[in-house]
Amino acid sequence: MAKFTLTANTPLGGFSHDFKGVSISEVNGRSIVSLATPLGGKEAVSKALAKTYKLEIPEPGKSTVSSLDNAVLMGMAQDQTFLVFDHTEDKPIDVVSKHLKDTAFLTDQSDSYVMLRVSGENSRSVLERICPIDLHPSVFPEGSVSRTIMEHLGTVIVHEKANTFLLMSARSSAKSFLEAVEVSALNTV
Amino acid sequence: MNQINRIDGGLINRSNKLNFNFNGQSLEGYEGDTLASALLANGHRMVGRSFKYHRPRGIFSAGSEEPNALVQLRTGAYQEPNTRATVTELFHGLEATSQNHRGSLKYDLMAVNDLFSSFLSAGFYYKTFMWPKAFWEKFYEPVIRAAAGLGRLSGEDDPDIYDKGFLHCDVLVVGAGAAGLSAALSAGRAGARVIVMDEDFCMGGRLNVETLSVDDKSGSEWATQALAELSAMGNVRLMTRTTAYGAYDHGIVGALERVTDHLISSEKKPRQILWRVYTKRTILCAGATERPIAFGNNDRPGVMLAGAVRAYVNRWGALPGKRVAVFTNNDDGWRTATDLAAKGVEITAVIDSRDGQPPVDVPKGAAIVMGGRIVDTKGRHGIRSFTLSNGQQIPADCLAVSGGWSPNVQLTCHQRGRPTWREDIAAFVPGGELPQGMSVAGAASGNLSLSSVLLNGHDIGNSVVSDLGFTPSKVKSSSSEEETTGISAFWHVRESKVRAWLDLQNDVTVKDVKLSHQEGFRSVEHLKRYTTLGMATDQGKTANIPALAVMAECTGKSLPETGTTIFRPPYTPVAIGALAGRARGKDFRPSRLSPSHSWAEEQGAVFVEADMWYRAQWFPRTGETHWRQSVDREVTQTRASVGVCDVTTLGKIDVQGRDAAEFLNKVYANAFAKLPVGKVRYGIMLREDGIMMDDGTSARFAENHFVMTTTTANAVSVFRHMEFCRQCLWPEMDVHLISSTEQYAQFAVAGPNARKLLQKVVDSDHDISNEAFPFMACGEITICGGVPARLFRISFSGELAYEIAVPTRYGDSLVRTLMAAGEEFDVTPYGTESLGVMRIEKGHAAGNELNGQTTARDLGMGRMVSKKKDSIGNTLSERDGLNLENGLSLVGFRPVNRSEELKAGSHFITKGNTANMANDEGWMSSVAFSPNLGHSIGLGFIKRGSERMGEVVLATDPIRGGEMDVEIVSAHFIDPEGERLRG
Repeated sequence: MAKFTLTANTPLGGFSHDFKGVSISEVNGRSIVSLATPLGGKEAVSKALAKTYKLEIPEPGKSTVSSLDNAVLMGMAQDQTFLVFDHTEDKPIDVVSKHLKDTAFLTDQSDSYVMLRVSGENSRSVLERICPIDLHPSVFPEGSVSRTIMEHLGTVIVHEKANTFLLMSARSSAKSFLEAVEVSALNTV
Repeated sequence: MNQINRIDGGLINRSNKLNFNFNGQSLEGYEGDTLASALLANGHRMVGRSFKYHRPRGIFSAGSEEPNALVQLRTGAYQEPNTRATVTELFHGLEATSQNHRGSLKYDLMAVNDLFSSFLSAGFYYKTFMWPKAFWEKFYEPVIRAAAGLGRLSGEDDPDIYDKGFLHCDVLVVGAGAAGLSAALSAGRAGARVIVMDEDFCMGGRLNVETLSVDDKSGSEWATQALAELSAMGNVRLMTRTTAYGAYDHGIVGALERVTDHLISSEKKPRQILWRVYTKRTILCAGATERPIAFGNNDRPGVMLAGAVRAYVNRWGALPGKRVAVFTNNDDGWRTATDLAAKGVEITAVIDSRDGQPPVDVPKGAAIVMGGRIVDTKGRHGIRSFTLSNGQQIPADCLAVSGGWSPNVQLTCHQRGRPTWREDIAAFVPGGELPQGMSVAGAASGNLSLSSVLLNGHDIGNSVVSDLGFTPSKVKSSSSEEETTGISAFWHVRESKVRAWLDLQNDVTVKDVKLSHQEGFRSVEHLKRYTTLGMATDQGKTANIPALAVMAECTGKSLPETGTTIFRPPYTPVAIGALAGRARGKDFRPSRLSPSHSWAEEQGAVFVEADMWYRAQWFPRTGETHWRQSVDREVTQTRASVGVCDVTTLGKIDVQGRDAAEFLNKVYANAFAKLPVGKVRYGIMLREDGIMMDDGTSARFAENHFVMTTTTANAVSVFRHMEFCRQCLWPEMDVHLISSTEQYAQFAVAGPNARKLLQKVVDSDHDISNEAFPFMACGEITICGGVPARLFRISFSGELAYEIAVPTRYGDSLVRTLMAAGEEFDVTPYGTESLGVMRIEKGHAAGNELNGQTTARDLGMGRMVSKKKDSIGNTLSERDGLNLENGLSLVGFRPVNRSEELKAGSHFITKGNTANMANDEGWMSSVAFSPNLGHSIGLGFIKRGSERMGEVVLATDPIRGGEMDVEIVSAHFIDPEGERLRG
């Protein structure tokens, strides 16, 4: 037995701050597993998801929500969906593969991203400084998912609910990303 | 004696008095004033000096077209030159100074230039100061440069902050005058998402300055009502102080919002925001700009555009003069006379260049001259009188001039649309192909009467929303009284014997344009460059058309045949700070920090930027004063015992699928299909053209699961290339890619004690002995009591080495643990410099060798390009040119005189040959000082290198100077048999 132990950290140490009409907080305690649908295997994945998570595979740009582990399934690309769910331990793939068996190719992406939740009545005003895509509910309704770029950084944005957006960007540039969002808030409200 | 020229009326808030300062003088104005209106109200007619001749200049217009009234705003680092007083919103505490004079504004020493005006004609600097030749650079040019220019920059960093943003809408309405508001009402009422932007702080455009009524209300009242209706709509966004400055590809419009320019302090908020507007449709309602008529000495303060004169009187209650005359070629100019007369202002004369009867009732007491010409003006610091062609002198302290109105077509031309000429209004109107999604309404489209503007805006608004699938509202257009808009083109007074200005900002006269033609400049673009007509802050908004008309006269062509210069963004000046936005200093681009960054900072590491990554370059220790000391120590210590290096930045691509192995077999030049599970293989990737693209390793963790590594620099491009292959070349393959670069913190642990160190952290149920985990093995293990990890037995340094990867969340903890566990082995962290030294000692190629020019054969890896299978680049790597007998090969070099230092970039010449390009045989790609060998070593490419071991060649460095004899040796300086890494 090794005498050493490792301690996990989060990209931003649990950042959370309230600005006027908008809150920005790091989201932790969630795992991200990428599901790649095998060629010709969509039906099998769909069945497995329906059986366990009671979810259908969303089209790219859409998401669906399950009560199991508060899982959100995000359509990222033609054959790629992200399952984001409550899980703080290591090896989130073990949890998913237990449900989906070998119907999909799984990749742990939990440590690939920093997740920030931007919420409040001013959230859209804050995000319009850095987000090139149209976040108006008529164009990007609740449940929408998009890949975009904010301040040169690749970002996944999810419209979770009214005036609440989840942003996911690369973990290595988490500080720059937070600064981009934070400065937007400081400049706006 | 403040506000001596302030009269009743206007849209100013007299209950809010604002104190400001101009040239050190304390003055008062009101909320709602511009700096120009407040200066006029205070009796200041002269506000600056002209560019070249330093002639007194006054306020000429009432908008963004202003060529004259450029002032320096604010002080210290906040100082901003060349600000147009006509669009500067007055605020309490504003400080402005006039510019372009030496001494006081009134007594400018540089006014002497005016006496030498005959020597300072267009292009004078091309023709004069020709000798003595040596004087040009040392004397003439510095003197001319010192005298030229308008305002001065502070020379300090701009302390303001700027931001950018993105807006989206169905309909963007540019300009909130009568047409813009009508169009916005139509679009807004139909339910479209509408953005209305206007450069003014008070929307309404000329509705706020004219006395014409709309729907039986004053224009400004109607505008207020329309704005109230629009602001109550949830689907409409009104943006004042915002200029749409450019129309770009795909219908995108650039706009600049001046957020705090009207405040004394920005309060740490962005001063300006540069918006990128994504809109389905744009309705350009930018209005029209009045143009002058050129006549003798028409540049004196007090000579103003007629529409501006009545704007100051009607909107701001500011009198530009007490005895006003009008010179016009159109009906609209008369409105100035009638409006001012109605306010009780004395109108001394109305001069109309047209023959016939006055179009409106003659103001009482005014001399009316139909078919009249003004040939000269008098007055030292402002006009006192003017002279007609018949010699009659008429007194006036303000001369309102109207040469007609030019639609503001600029944005319609930003995608190379060319305007067309309309004879009936003597103006260019939008023509040809408009930018995507753009319509034009109101005066900008050539509708110059208010009634037609209102109807046109309403109809275009309805048409645009209908096109977008909305149902237009049934509300009818507002209407206005009919007005006369007759005009007869008249550009300049030929009878004038003295200089007549066309471009007030650049001091370009009628004579200059004629000279330009005389000297052979036939194109309007050449005219512009030769005379500087239409350049600088106003971009010739008032000058261009009259100047083109003069040029057309010279060439005998019509105006449409002569054409306009090309309009380019920005429509009005945009500060460089606004274009930069937040991208200043360290915020120029984001930073990527590796998982060990905080720890490395604690160690005092020196970082290097590799793309966006910050990588530890070396770790200085106390007493080390030179980087080489640190690097030599790190290398020596690693080769002697063990070192740890963060290699997280290398690209990692997770490859899964039933066809994953076959896929890799196709993208790598060497074979991968049969790589056993639990093994890693070095792979080389070629471009389609057979040139080396990247190298790295791929580890097989399961039958259908590989983890590929790429170089740090090519992480993105390799991923993109593989996605292209997967999606476009072989869509029938079941293969899935996802980046896992960010997912894992990865550390190289290298040196004879690497295994011993790792054995202290790897959980005991994983055997990593040489037998169980040999060179090029890989596996999923656990460390430190169950933390999942991946272990790779690979070596870049040539030592017994591993790379260990853990989920990134454990990266910081792992490096600290490795250092603690390695204490007994005197472990050292090493940075990218040591990494480089060790790979050169080992003869491993890196980015310097994979420079986009070299082949696998050049690198000595030709046999790795498997001919038993097809792969990208395989076929074209067989091209003759890439397989010459005397082709390059990668070899090692060492200086014959071991104390000499090799230089990367040196070129090799066979001894005895002249060092020139014809004899160039290759180049040194990488060099390092080898602390193990005690001398400089290098890798490089030389023709037939592998056959020339032991030969001494010349390494010459013609750029930096120097040459030396170098010996060709094996690239493997250390452990050529590979015993260490297999140990």
